[in-house]
Amino acid sequence: MAVEVRVPTILRKYTSGAKAVEGSGATVREVIEDLERTHPGVRGAVVTSDGDLHRFINMYLNDEDIRFIGSLETPVSDGDVISILPAVAGG
Amino acid sequence: MPEFRLPDALARGMIEHAQQEYPKECCGFLVGPTGDAREQVRLTNIDPDPVMRYEADAKEMKRAYDQLYDRDWDVVSIYHSHTHTPAYPSPTDVKLARDPNAVYVLVSLQDRGHPDVRAFRILEGRIEELSVVAEERAS
Repeated sequence: MAVEVRVPTILRKYTSGAKAVEGSGATVREVIEDLERTHPGVRGAVVTSDGDLHRFINMYLNDEDIRFIGSLETPVSDGDVISILPAVAGG
Repeated sequence: MPEFRLPDALARGMIEHAQQEYPKECCGFLVGPTGDAREQVRLTNIDPDPVMRYEADAKEMKRAYDQLYDRDWDVVSIYHSHTHTPAYPSPTDVKLARDPNAVYVLVSLQDRGHPDVRAFRILEGRIEELSVVAEERAS
């Protein structure tokens, strides 16, 4: 499955400045693994060493927050759009 | 000190947002083409302790990012208010600052009659203040 992954500015250092890249896989996790091969560094910025989504990263598959629909195991389809959004927080 | 050019209308808009949310902290984006703040995007603070902390609503951020993507704009600045402390990044702000490219704007209502607006970059725990240059701009 080929999907578009929209990359926030803080991760564009891994994508040579590109704001969107293409990845493939059957699930969100597989797409991230695929991106790690083509754009090393992306996985570590998004997924913890335990394999979970980072607390301060939100990821959307089309218009759905993946935390509510299967997290990294959410299946993807051709033409889907994954958006990576860093949390914005402070005190 | 490096400069941050801030249109007057956006400064007024952030102060108004901060006043409306008081005593809770407000938060939002200033967006535009690379490095050029053109518009304000108000975001809802969903932190359970909104007087002391802020976390922007992710769904609203998603909508904002989609629009930015379509316009080829970026988040230039991330702003929030301090209602009882100066316009300077708190230890929590520094710890949670994720974006080395963003200008972090602080609006302080410590003295509600005289709001203070200051701008910073936060790079790997280091705070660098930017000189806010007020800009009148016809929109």
